[in-house]
This record gives sequence, structure tokens and C-alpha cells, in this order.
Amino acid sequence: MNNKGNNGRKRPAQQQPAPPQPSKHVATTEIEDEYMDEDVFIEQNLVDEDELILRDMEDREALANRLEKWKRPPLSKAYHSHSQNIVFQQLEIDYVIGESHKGLIPNSSGSAAIIRIFGVTKEGNSVCCNVHGFEPYFYISCPPGMGPDDISRFHQILEGRMREANKSNKFSVPKFILRVELVQRKSIMYYQQHSSQPFLKIVVALPTMVASCRGILDKGIQIDGLGMKSFMTYESNVLFVLRFMIDCNIVGGNWIEVPAHKYKKSAKSLSYSQFEFDCLYSELISHVPEGEFSKMAPFRILSFDIECAGRKGLFPDAKYDPVIQIANLVTLQGEEQPFVRNVMTLKSCSPIVGVDVMSFDSEREVLLAWRDFIREIDPDIIIGYNICKFDLPYLIERAETLKIAEFPILGRIRNSRTRVKDTTFSSRQYGTRESKEVTLEGRVQFDLLQAMQRDYKLSSYSLNSVSAHFLNEQKEDVHHSIISDLQNGNPETRRRLAVYCLKDAYLPQRLLDKLMYIYNYVEMARVTGVPMSFLLSRGQSIKVLSQLLRKAKQKDLVLPNVKQAGSEQGTYEGATVLEARAGFYEKPIATLDFASLYPSIMMAYNLCYCTLVTPEDVRKFNLPQECVNKTPSGEIFVKSDLQKGILPEILEELLAARRRAKADLKEAKDPLVKAVLDGRQLALKISANSVYGFTGATIGQLPCLEISSSVTSYGRQMIEHTKRLVEDKFTTLGGYEHNAEVIYGDTDSVMVQFGVPTVDEAMKLGREAADYISGTFIKPIKLEFEKVYFPYLLISKKRYAGLYWTNPDKFDKMDTKGIETVRRDNCLLVKNLVTECLHKILIDRDIPGAVQYVKNTISDLLMNRMDLSLLVITKGLTKTGEDYEVKAAHVELAERMRKRDAATAPNVGDRVPYVIIKAAKGAKAYEKSEDPIYVLENNIPIDPQYYLENQISKPLLRIFEPILKNASRELLHGSHTRAISISTPSTGGIMKFAKKQLSCVGCKALISNKDQTLCSHCKGREAELYCKTVDNVSELEKLFGRLWTQCQECQGSLHQDVLCTSRDCPIFYRRKKAQKDMAEAKVQLERWNF
Amino acid sequence: MDEVFEIQKEMYKGQQYSQIYYIRLHLIRTLIYSLLPNWKPHLPVCTVLGLEEGKECIIVGTLYKHMKLKPTILSEYSKERSAAPLVSPDNFVHADDVLVLEDESGRVNLKGNVLSPSVYVTGNVVALHGKETGGGDFFVEDVLEAGLPPQLDLPNKLGEDKYVVLVSGLNVGSSSSNPLQLQLLVDHITGHLGDKKEQRTAAQIVQVVVAGDSVHIQHGLLNGQNLASKDQSKLSEPIKELDIFLTQIAAGIPIDIMPGYNDPANFALPQQPLNKCLFPGSSAYNTFRSCTNPHLFDVDTVRFLGTSGQNIDDLKKYSEANDTLEFMERTLRWRHLAPTAPNTLGCYPFTDRDPFFVESCPHVYFVGNQDKYATRILKGSEGQVVRLISIPKFSETGTAVMVNLRNLECNTLSFGIQISS
Repeated sequence: MNNKGNNGRKRPAQQQPAPPQPSKHVATTEIEDEYMDEDVFIEQNLVDEDELILRDMEDREALANRLEKWKRPPLSKAYHSHSQNIVFQQLEIDYVIGESHKGLIPNSSGSAAIIRIFGVTKEGNSVCCNVHGFEPYFYISCPPGMGPDDISRFHQILEGRMREANKSNKFSVPKFILRVELVQRKSIMYYQQHSSQPFLKIVVALPTMVASCRGILDKGIQIDGLGMKSFMTYESNVLFVLRFMIDCNIVGGNWIEVPAHKYKKSAKSLSYSQFEFDCLYSELISHVPEGEFSKMAPFRILSFDIECAGRKGLFPDAKYDPVIQIANLVTLQGEEQPFVRNVMTLKSCSPIVGVDVMSFDSEREVLLAWRDFIREIDPDIIIGYNICKFDLPYLIERAETLKIAEFPILGRIRNSRTRVKDTTFSSRQYGTRESKEVTLEGRVQFDLLQAMQRDYKLSSYSLNSVSAHFLNEQKEDVHHSIISDLQNGNPETRRRLAVYCLKDAYLPQRLLDKLMYIYNYVEMARVTGVPMSFLLSRGQSIKVLSQLLRKAKQKDLVLPNVKQAGSEQGTYEGATVLEARAGFYEKPIATLDFASLYPSIMMAYNLCYCTLVTPEDVRKFNLPQECVNKTPSGEIFVKSDLQKGILPEILEELLAARRRAKADLKEAKDPLVKAVLDGRQLALKISANSVYGFTGATIGQLPCLEISSSVTSYGRQMIEHTKRLVEDKFTTLGGYEHNAEVIYGDTDSVMVQFGVPTVDEAMKLGREAADYISGTFIKPIKLEFEKVYFPYLLISKKRYAGLYWTNPDKFDKMDTKGIETVRRDNCLLVKNLVTECLHKILIDRDIPGAVQYVKNTISDLLMNRMDLSLLVITKGLTKTGEDYEVKAAHVELAERMRKRDAATAPNVGDRVPYVIIKAAKGAKAYEKSEDPIYVLENNIPIDPQYYLENQISKPLLRIFEPILKNASRELLHGSHTRAISISTPSTGGIMKFAKKQLSCVGCKALISNKDQTLCSHCKGREAELYCKTVDNVSELEKLFGRLWTQCQECQGSLHQDVLCTSRDCPIFYRRKKAQKDMAEAKVQLERWNF
Repeated sequence: MDEVFEIQKEMYKGQQYSQIYYIRLHLIRTLIYSLLPNWKPHLPVCTVLGLEEGKECIIVGTLYKHMKLKPTILSEYSKERSAAPLVSPDNFVHADDVLVLEDESGRVNLKGNVLSPSVYVTGNVVALHGKETGGGDFFVEDVLEAGLPPQLDLPNKLGEDKYVVLVSGLNVGSSSSNPLQLQLLVDHITGHLGDKKEQRTAAQIVQVVVAGDSVHIQHGLLNGQNLASKDQSKLSEPIKELDIFLTQIAAGIPIDIMPGYNDPANFALPQQPLNKCLFPGSSAYNTFRSCTNPHLFDVDTVRFLGTSGQNIDDLKKYSEANDTLEFMERTLRWRHLAPTAPNTLGCYPFTDRDPFFVESCPHVYFVGNQDKYATRILKGSEGQVVRLISIPKFSETGTAVMVNLRNLECNTLSFGIQISS
């Protein structure tokens, strides 16, 4: 086979067009889809390096000189002579198929899987370690009565079948099945009395063959003397890289050491890493992430953002719209400030202080400069906002459109093309998300948008609102229709754009720092043992699986590859919630919490795959009663003296590690160490909690509903038990002052009203109850007293609000759950109203005040005095109008706006803000939506009834019903709802026929004389009416000044006009409105100057 | 001479504040450039963008002060209700404030001890001598301000005494204002009070200036609804009362009235003259002038420039000085009456001029509505002599100020009232 093609990976379908000179490459093979569960290998993605030197040498040199100073530190000479141990932190592991290394494994031949580990040394050198000799394998249970001869015959038959199945395979391997070994193992499933059984370990030549071999064994093969037999395979679905990591005890992001003289510098360097070397997998020393090895290497983190010049009215499309700017920031892990800031622009751009501005005349040069920059900077982690779905694919598709074949070499492998592929990521926890996968070998991609969507529930995920939320600053938002104008302007306007672009590149880095993402994710990788890239691209279950496999390996247990049964196994009863006794409680409510309830249950009752006894086995084994637990859902598990479960053991380790991490955290002084430890304890907590979910995931890797339903049934029992004990013990009969009452119980907490009036007393009783009840549980289940709510507004199940006290002197915060404070399809008015009411009720303890506030707000709404930005509702436009089955307000509006002005109309992917306007009687709800700006400009009346009925009434009633007797009548139908004022639209409808005439400022009577302001009747009130007019002007001037200077502040410049059109910003509409009202009020005032 | 402050014909047409900053920068920079040959002729002049690391140079630009405590309208939206105490609303200066210099080309952070963030405010235009450091900051070694403007000579050093009376903060209608006190002032000015000597002085009063906050209006009465007749009179009564006082004066002596923060006038500077419909009585006299704030006028050949106090009050919030007069002196040296406009002080978005630029040095520079009376003479390097006056609120101190045009000497008129019956 061709020697050139030994790197890269194979992806099914959707390949990029082949680069020139296809004759040099071997044609690809069609491989059935079902075998494609792992990465393999392709040559199409390769480009000949010689072809790349097409660019003008001088240009390249000039650029190279600019980039030179950012190179990584020089490499120690000792590496080249193999005389120094190489110690590095790995971030990314993958594998390729290549010729097996003759030097390291002398008697091998043909293709073999080579593991590539990319990492960084303490000194900041990048290394690529090619690991040889690790072979893919899996297990099958050995049929009874199979002797050594049978095994070798079985081997031959299997080899034959494999040869047949892989006829078209291009890889030259002398043997498909390398070995079949007889080993002693035990299945993890079900309690078994014997200690182990014979299994066959089947070692195959290449990782893909695991799947194809599994297929053959699943279907069954004919064995002489045994007949047609199909086999249950074990651990045949473990990704090759994970298999390697497990067997070598490597966890994600840990430090690896290769001793001196045990490695060889690669003869031909295939990667752009500073040092590339080969070694045997058995020589790797994997360090446990503790002490010195818990630190982080100085990775290079690149944060970037691109701008493209879109066409009016259309979302940028790589086929037509050029990339005009790319802003880059590179930061060393652990440092506060980026050490590289630059921006690459198409056409000239004025300089920016502290930023290296590189301007180019053609787009081709911009793209190639960026490629060179990536290569020179050699980032380990690439971050940005929505880079996976937008920026990276766009760059690659754009290069394709421009036919720049040499552009997409952005990974660490020489000549390997970066490819884009559509993927869907689906997980029970995170839902289904369409995404694009861009392969960048050796570099970790970390898209902050994906991370945000995973880790936080926010009302909007625009970079603007995310940075407003976490960094407390508004981001200037330039509408994409303006971007082209700025680009087509002069160097100054392009500079403007560049500043904007740089800010967009900087914010992801700031978010990364602020949320400690690097620490948290590296720690999560270390705790769960998966590579960092899995954390963002895969669900929870791979993390638990990795831990399970590691633990099972220690105990010689193997995991069956269960056929995916789909969801037909049914569901089971979930957690219980005690009936909520809705009301407003003005006595302290103590909350008793189970600490890590589900993990504790699994530990306490030894719930595991390997302790579960099947109904048949119950009879067969005839286990004594005292050795087993029968769970409330009817399953039988053996106790730990017979067989200790693996899951409980994993959980114990996780929780013990968390306690250690928390203890260390208290001791730690160094902020960086603290960050690591805090990230670790968080990762440990999340991991412990996800074990339960793993057993309940019916389309997961190894579902076992017996375990998960037992867990929840125990949980329910404990909540009930707690309620009973509290209500039995804390009574006047028992010598307490009051009868305790359980008012509500959630999944893992119980709310108790002890009847005492002070927080202090409630805390004492809470502690007493927690200790007393904990004593009745099996360890480690523990009931903890944590907090007191006082006062407490309980609305219904999972909806409550209260002041949260952990010490008797001062409350910590206001805690709310399930109440409309952050729902994204509500307008801001709802949030403000609810927050303000709760504040008045709970903190000020002023219920009449809250009622008055609601009345005033409703009156303002009806009297058209409401700030429009509070009424804006926002929804994302996910597809175009025709694709929606039901007509939706925002979609209809987008269509209408497109008809009005295609340039500024929202596109698919944008968020559409709208308000509900008054429309003709009988108009459908979706016809009543309108663009807030349009409403402002044309004085269109909003529909206050809609807001009253559909937006604010429900949340308000929820809050007030437990408090007021006739909440609905009092709040929504009082005298304050009688006065209504509606503005007159200035366009459309009947206004076309209306004639404008001057009227008296005082009484609105028509006046004929143009020079007059008042009618003769109102003349006497001149001073008063003038005061009113001028006061209105003065209020508006005040607002105008504050709003516009705020926007100047945000954009960071006094001498340039504000361009921002961020509709996520709360003052955007106010600013627009102030501008318009100001002009009108000024005209009104002019009328007095006769 | 108030034309410069009039905005009758100007309209809000979507213009923003960038222009006024641009014009200000342009005006003062041209002026500063002309001073450079006498200041540091050996140094090259750079723009912010033209800075090179380590190279000593001069840059001229608009200062921007980044303030931690500055209240923003945005925080009203994103406020997390908390029990934390709010900062004192009088002064937002904080030790962590930093200055930034901006010109059309960009911004640069300023470092070094020469330029004190507590003295300067956003909107000042200055020249800085220094060099760019490795971190992209500009290390300031020296500062040059535009300095006092040139002044017209005062020709009539000799001659007879003539007085101009300056008064502010009458606050007619407020609880602190006493009608009797005000009547005493009016009687004194019109010569109906005191002995011969006092009457002689009164006869030498040639001009009265009322510098803002003349009436007190209950703003609660002005929110939209039509007023009941009882409230109508509550609103118009103080205005009528003021009109009566003004009429008494206008009958004998020229009087200028300037609008102030609390008056029924617009908010943004420059405030436009109070409408004559408010003063049906006094406006009948041609001695009565309703003026803008700021107000620029000549009496004989003495040039007066003054405001109703907003410019200095805002400086007090966003910077620090020993006393009011020092703030006043700064505005003259900066060549700008209200540098904090539009940033923290409301102002009209001018597109073609900056009316607050001080073109020529006044002989008398006054601000109204201050806590106490203070005055001193400021002398400039080119022989300029300016009388700085901080006029106290009359309703609280019972004090008005008399300036003698002959020698720019100043004394106060105080009216104590103790009614014992």
C-alpha cells in the first residue's frame, strides 16, 4: 500500500472532493455502515505537501517573520539523544492505521493500529507520542466442553469468515484474528456463585475488525461438533482509544512519562508537534493526577472569531459570502492575559493599540495566513463561540468554494485535511442537537456555546446575554447587514469591525476563565477517565461506562454487549413527591435533605449488576434471608458479605475522593491548586450522581432497570419514613411545644414546620430530627439538616419561594423554584413583576405593598405607560415559515418583515423579538405579533389585554392565591383596570384618511389659528400647561442622555457613532424610543415659542 | 450674546453624541498644538495609533475615566435585589478609577502618577507627554492643558462704582424660601431700604442676574393627568409670586433670569430661556431678559460668564477638589465649561459646534446654587484677571453677591430675618 497515506481517519460518506493526483492514492473501500462504529482511515484527505508551496515565497516569509516570535519555546536537546525522560500532559488521544513499527516490534508485519497521544510538557513543548503494539480485542464466553483443539479450529473458522467479510478491505494484514486465548473471567451481570468461567479473548488485527467480527459471532457460525452457534460478545463495543486508556491506566488529561532510551524519535515526522516519537505501549508510565501531577501544563488556548460580509437579508453562506476578518487571541493556560492578539483583515485596516493587525488584499491570503498562524502558534485547545457549528465549517467550506485546496490543514497532522461532517448528538439529559463535527487532529475544540447549553439553563444563549449573565457586561452587537457596509467603507470602518471582532474573540476566553472551564473539564476527564473531547461530544453514559470498565477489569469481570433493546423495556416509577400543602408560611420551615440520596441507597443496599439475583436463581441458589435484601420494588440483591457490588465500590471511591478533595480545598492556599480541587470535587459529585442514571438509560450501554427502579423505590420509602418519624416524634405528647407538620417533600428533601416562631429554634429541632432519623437508616444514608425557609411561600409541587437561612442571624438569599423568573418565552415584565412581588412579600413582609405594586403595574400597562422593552417576547426562528406546521407568531412576523425590508428581517437561526399588538376583532393570535421597532416608529397600540391575560395573570395568581382570598378579583379586576389609554397608530387603516389639525394643548379642542397653542378657554392655565410640556421634555432629555452615553460606554469609544443593534440588550428599545419621543416632544415645545 | 447657547432651530434627528466629542477634540487640540512649540518642542506628536513602544512623544486626545462606582442605567435592569448598601450618591470617585486617552484612532490606558484620576473627568482634552510601555499602556510623564483663554482688556479702571447683583436659588414656593427675605432683597435693590449710604449704593446697581432655581415646582403634579383646580394653583402660585418680585425689580433695573435645574425649563444644557408666558408681568418691561444657562453677557465692558451650577455640581460628583472655586478654575483652564457633558451631564447632541468651549476669558465667572459664598481673583500667565464667584442659594443663606464693575471687588448682601412678635 502507499506509504504516504498513513495518517488521517476515515469518515463515512460526505467526503470532501479528492485533492489532485488521485492516482497516487489507493481507492477507498465501501464498508458496511454497521461496522463503522469506530474511526478508521482514509487517504483522500491527504494533500501532497509539495503542492502547498504555491504561494508567493516573499509574502510567506514576511508573514512567517511576524509569527516567528510566538513560536513555542525551543526543545531540549536531550530529547533528540533520547537521554531524557519525556513527561507530558496529554489532552487528546486518537489512533491511525499504519505500518507496524519494525524497530519496536520486530516480528510484526502489515497494518496495525497506532495510538497517537498529543500533549504538552511542563516547559510548553508540544509532543506527539506514537504508541505501538496495543491490539484490539474482545471476549466471548467459551462454550462448555471446548478444548484447546476446538479453540484453534474455532480460530481458523473465524479467520475464514473474516477474510470473506473483509474481502474488499484494502489493508494488508497477514491475519485478521491474531490470537484466541482461553482466559478466566466472569460476567458482570447477575450474582453468580462460582468464582469464574472460561472466556475466549479474541485479539484482532485492527480496531474496525472488532465490529465486523462481532457481527459474525452475533449471527452465529458453524463449528464442527457444536453445530451452528451464536455468541454473546463481551466488551466488543468499547472504543479502541478508551480500551487502550483503560488497559494502560491512563485517564483523560493526566501526565504520561516515557523513560529515557525507551522511545525513538520518529524517522519521518508526520505531525507538526515539536517532537514526535515512537514507543511501545508497555513502556508508558501513567501518573495518577496527584501532587505535582495534578497541575496543568502550559497549554496554548486559541480563541478566535470570524466575520463574513453577508448579503442583505440573507444569512452568510460560504458559497457566496467572503470571510473578511479573523480575530485571534492566544493565552497560556494559567495566565491572565493573552500573549497574542491579532486580527487578519481583508483589505487595509487602521492599526489598533496592542493588537497586531495583518491586512491582506485577497481572501485567499487571509485564509492562508490563518492557516499559517495556526501552524506556527500550534494551539492545544481551540475555543470560540459557536465555532463548531459556524466558524470552523464556514472557513473550510469557504476555502473549498475558493478552491484553496491547501487551506484546511489545521490539525496537527501534516497533510491531513480538516473535514466537516454533520452529526446529531442525542442524549436523554441534553436532548437532541444537530451539530457539525470538524476534525482537527491533535487539537481539542471547546465550543463555549455547546458548553453553555450543556451546563446552564439560560433564557438566551446569545453571546451577548451569556456575557451579560456571567461577566456582567453588555456586548455591542453589530447587525450583519451593517457588517458589509463597514467592510466596504474605509480603513477606519474596517478597524471598527476589527475591534468588534476582537471583542467577540475575547469574550469566550473570559467566559472560559470565569467559569473555570479548563479546570472543571480536565478534572472531569481525570475522574471519569475519558479523553477531554468526549466530554463535550458525548453524553453522560460514556463516563460511567469508562469507570465501570476500569473497575471491572481489576476484578476480572467483563461487561456483556447488550443488544440495544430500545425503550420497550418500559419505564419505572420515578421519584416521589409528597403532596404539597400550599400556603404562605410565616413560621420557619426546616428542610431535611438526604445527602447524595441515590448514591447512598446504592451503597447501603449493595445494588449492582453483579449482586442482582434473577428470579430463577433465587430458587436455584436458595439464599438465606439474612444474606439478601428485597427492595420495595421486589428485586433481590445479595448483601455485600456475599458479593460486594462494583457500583457501590465506584460510588464509595468517588465520594471518598470528593471528601478528600473538599478537605484539601480547605487547606489549599494557591488559587490555581484551589481551582483544580474545586473542579475535581464538582466532577466527583456529578459523576456519583450520574451512575444511577446510567442504569436507567434504556437505550444506554448497559441498562438495568432492576437497579434503577429499586433505587427510586427505596427513595420513596425513605421520604415516607422520614415524614412518619417526624410527625410521630415531634408532638406535644412527646414533650415538644408544638406538633410538627410535614408540609412538602421533594425527591430528596422534606420540609417540616416545627411550629416554633424563630429560625434559631427551628434550626435546633431540625438538627435533632436529622440526627434522630439518620440513626434509623443503614449507612451511609444520612439525613442532613441544612437550611430553614422563613417565610416560605409554597405554591404547589416543585414551585416555591422563600428566604433561605443557614445561620439564625441573617438570611443568605431569596430562593425560588419553578417560578417564572427566567422562562425565555415570557416578557421581561413578568420577570420583574414576579421578582418585585416576591421581594416585597418575603423580604419586606409587605403584602399590601405587593398588591399595590401589582395594581400600579397593571394600571401602567392599561394606560399605555409601559416601557416597551419590558413587553418584548423573543423566540428563536429555527426554520422557515413553510416548515412550521402550526402558524406561530414569530414565524409569521419574520415573513412580514421580510416583505417590508429583506435586509433587516430575521433569518433562520436569529432570535425574533416581537410584541403583541391590538388587531382587528377576531384576529388570530399569530397575526398580532409585530416588530417592536416598527411599533415604536408607527405608534401602534399594543394589546394590554393579551399581556394581562396571557402573560402576567397566571404567574401572579400562583403567587397570590395562597396569600389572598380573592386574588383574581382583587388583582385583575379592581378599579385600577378601568382606565385605558390606547395610542393612535400613525399608519395604516383609517389613518390614511385622517387629516391633521392643530388642537389645544390643554383640552384638545381644535384651534384654527396656526400660531396659537391654547384655545381661549385654556389661556388662563398657560403656566401650568407649559410646565407640563417642558417637564416632559426635561424627563426625556434626562433619559436620552443616560441611554446614549451608556451605549457609548459599552462600545468603548466616544468619538464614534453607536452602531449596536443588540435586541437582547434591555436598553435597546428604550434608546430608540427616547430618540423618537425626544424629537416629538421638542416639536410640542416649539409650539409655545410664538 | 447668548446666541451660542440657543438651540431653538436645532432638532433631534437621530444624531448621537459622537459629534460633540469630535468637535471638542478638534477645537481644543488645534489650540494645544499651537502651544506645543513653547512646551516641549523637541518631542514628536503622535496619534494613539502611532504610538511605538518606548518612544517618547506627545499625544493629544479626550480623556475617559473608567469609574467603578459610576451608576449606570443598565444596572437598573440587571439589578439583583440585594441588601447591600448603595454608594453615597454625592461622589462616585474611587481609588481604582483609571484614565484612558482617546482620539479618533483609538484608546490607550494611562499609567503613572502625574495624571491624577481624581482631578480629571471624562471629556477633558489634554496633551500628554510620555511613552508606551511593553504592556500597551501609556506612561504619562507630563500633562498640558489648554490653559486660560485670552482676555479682552478692561479699559475703565477708573470711573465710578457700578454694581451687578448676582443671586441664585430663590426657590420661591419651597419650604425653605421665605417671602419676607426675598422682599427685603427686592426693596434693597430698588432702593427702598436702609439709610442714605445704602440707598446710594443701591442706586449704583446697574444689573441684576438671577442664576437659576428661582421657583420650586412639585414634580409630582406633572405626571400626565389633568390637574384639579386646587393642584393647578399649587403649581402656578409660586410662578406668579416670582413674577411679582421680578416685576418690581424690572420696573427700575435691568434684570436677567437664567433657568436652573429645578426651574420649568428643559433639562439638558444649554438650558433654554424660561418661557415668557410664565412671566406675564415682568416680561412687559424691556429691562427684563429671559436668558439661557450658561449665560454670557457684557455689562459696560466687563464680560460675565456664568451657569446655574449644574456643570460644577457634576464635577463634584465625578472628581475631587478643595473647594468650588478650584473646580471653577479648572473649567477655565480646560477651556471647557462642562467637560462632563454629555457623559454624565445632560446636554443637547450638537453636530456642528461645542458651545461650552470657552473662547475668550470672562472678567467675571460665576456659578449659582452653591452651598456657600466664596470668591477669589484668578490671574493668568498672560495677564488675565478673572473674578471667580460661587453664589450661594438665597433661600438657604439669605445672601446675594454684589460685584463692583470698577475694580471687580465683591461683597455680599445678607438679609437675616428674625421675626419676634
